[in-house]
Amino acid sequence: MKQKKMVAMILAGGRGTRLYDLTKKVAKPAVHFGGKYRIIDFPLSNCANSNITTVGVLVQYESVLLNSYIAKDHIWGLDIDGGGVYCLPPREKDVTGLGLYQGTADAITQNLDFLDQEDAEYVLILSGDHIDKMNYEKMLSEHIAKGADATIAVLEVPMKEASRFGIMNTDEDDRIIEFEEKPAEPKSNLASMGIYIFTYKTLRRYLKEDEKAKDSNHDFGKDIIPNYLKDGLKLQAYRFKGYWKDVGTIDSLWEANMDLISDKNTLDLSDPTWKIYTGDNNAIPQIIGPNAKIDVAYITQGCVVDGEVKRSVLFTGSRVDEGAKVIDSVIMNGARVGEGAVLERCVVMDDVKVPAHMHLGSKNSKNILLVTKALVNKKAEGKDHE
Amino acid sequence: MSNKMLGIVNLEPANVHVEGIDDYRPVSATSFLGRYRILDFMISNMTNSHIDDIQIYIKNRPRSTIEHILGTNYNVNSKKGRFSILYGEIQGNNELYNTDIANFKANIEYIEQSTADYVVIAPSHFVYIEDFNEMLAYHEKMGADVTIMYQSVSTAKEDFAMCDILEFSEGKRVAAMSKNTGKFKNRDISLECYIMSRNLFIELIQKATATSSLFWLSDVVSDSLGDLKVVGYPHKGYVTCINSLKTYYKANLELRDRLDDLVTEGWPIYTKTNDTQPTLYRECARVSGSLIGNGCEIEGTVIDSVIGRNVVIKAGAVVKNAVIMPSVLINKNAKIENAVIDKYAMITHIKELKGTEDEPIYVKRRDRI
Repeated sequence: MKQKKMVAMILAGGRGTRLYDLTKKVAKPAVHFGGKYRIIDFPLSNCANSNITTVGVLVQYESVLLNSYIAKDHIWGLDIDGGGVYCLPPREKDVTGLGLYQGTADAITQNLDFLDQEDAEYVLILSGDHIDKMNYEKMLSEHIAKGADATIAVLEVPMKEASRFGIMNTDEDDRIIEFEEKPAEPKSNLASMGIYIFTYKTLRRYLKEDEKAKDSNHDFGKDIIPNYLKDGLKLQAYRFKGYWKDVGTIDSLWEANMDLISDKNTLDLSDPTWKIYTGDNNAIPQIIGPNAKIDVAYITQGCVVDGEVKRSVLFTGSRVDEGAKVIDSVIMNGARVGEGAVLERCVVMDDVKVPAHMHLGSKNSKNILLVTKALVNKKAEGKDHE
Repeated sequence: MSNKMLGIVNLEPANVHVEGIDDYRPVSATSFLGRYRILDFMISNMTNSHIDDIQIYIKNRPRSTIEHILGTNYNVNSKKGRFSILYGEIQGNNELYNTDIANFKANIEYIEQSTADYVVIAPSHFVYIEDFNEMLAYHEKMGADVTIMYQSVSTAKEDFAMCDILEFSEGKRVAAMSKNTGKFKNRDISLECYIMSRNLFIELIQKATATSSLFWLSDVVSDSLGDLKVVGYPHKGYVTCINSLKTYYKANLELRDRLDDLVTEGWPIYTKTNDTQPTLYRECARVSGSLIGNGCEIEGTVIDSVIGRNVVIKAGAVVKNAVIMPSVLINKNAKIENAVIDKYAMITHIKELKGTEDEPIYVKRRDRI
């Protein structure tokens, strides 16, 4: 008998404006993370490890690099018969013409033909900007066991932070009875992670109706979930335990990187049974030079370090020259910290060269400094005038 | 252009014996520099030279080579290109007869099948960077029948033991070949890399077979110096010859400093990715002058060493001038100096292991000491 199929759909179209220059040229899911990864490696590897074979990636903003990256589905072992990674940008269609994705739900509505063609029984909705190691296969078996129409992954957050999230109020059996978006006075601490499993047949009907609704935002959280609740469908909360982070801002991206070197780190990237796969770039092994001093760091292949690195994460091919100091910072792919330069609480963007002896960031800064080419040039010019 | 040459990664000759290590795998498939296998350098030379039909010959223990080649994208079109792993049957149950010629002979139909005009034949235990298109252009310019790559060295006394020495007459023509017994300092050492037409290669295989079942390719070339125009092609740049435990150890430590210059953006060395996470340096880690693979967890001290993938070095441990292969555990307070530690070994009970630069200590694969 043919297995009932769950198709994953990763929402990867967001611009990520709160990441500023990091997403000026690349979509947020393609932003580098954790030394050697890109953010989208996490949902894609989780899909592969959860035995999902078909993944659609809904792209929209600055997607050239992202499209070419996800096209290499062999990276995650997804180049299998009857499966693969499908890049789904907004398309011009016979009836509706060309339209951008208007919301999370609309992005799926515009690809119902894809889900029909894939003969989906269940649809898994994922976000392209989360860092976690979730087993979607387990979530599906719970969805089936409970006979749910939709299952929403939730995370227990501290009560005082609950008003920042979409909160699920549940009964004793974890059936969702109420959904409140950023409630001022939260009744529960179960925050939606933006990860949903829907039984496709029902979802299809609701998306079709939503398409026609004039006052809809075409959004899962604002429209589809409330409609399900209104009609008394069975929505189940699925409690996820483990590391989860939305890396939507420079500070949270920095924090998620710093988590990797923390004693309390719960994101285990070394587990051979749940690897995070990523595109390899044939970099040489890391070279730790004769003058290097390393004190708590996460360093990957292609890095050349001859300076001081303290509580920092160095991404593929980055360099820290002799006498330079990198403290509490993230140095992204191919960036170079020149001789004697000092960085503290910085995220240095891909390929930025920090000139020798330049000082950037500070120990007591409120926010993490994003070091861009423009910033470095401006600072270097300013120095000439001094 | 790309079909002009068939690439052949040859067997290591009989003078190559890396004590201990080659009990487990061919030298060519040995872990190297924290991330590679030795043969990655030769295969990358070939594919970077746009050769996309490559035969890799192995004598025995093919598992690690097969797994590695299957898992590596050497940047060749996966439909158009071809990697063949070939081996001959040992004849007469005697290793003496297991020559490269015997292996070519056993697989002659695959050499005949090729449509390439030329073959480039090179073993992988000489590690260097070379563009074979330049060597081919030289071969054509010289109007040679056979071109042999060589390096003028001043260390023939201590290195390159039992390698072929080339002696030239006028115009880089090879007049004689002999074995390096370490009598002289300055010699022209053959890197055992040959370019010739594919037809001549097939002829030489036939000739060698007819002459002696002990003949290697270098013997039949040497035997033909009178009939054929054999010329030397000088290689410039770094070369190391891995033919013993000591030279394996030395090559690792030497390339520590040089790798960054040797491997450029235009000439990458391809290898299999293991999807291993970055290396974690903990609070008491002290690391300098070393080449480190991914996936390690370092709490101890590492000085002037090469550390393979997924190695754990616990607090208080000191690793100095050592080559540590993947997945080794160096437990608390162990002191390791001038050593080669093979894969999956665990150093727990012994608190000090110390060899010398000339005689590094070797710890076997999966040893628990």
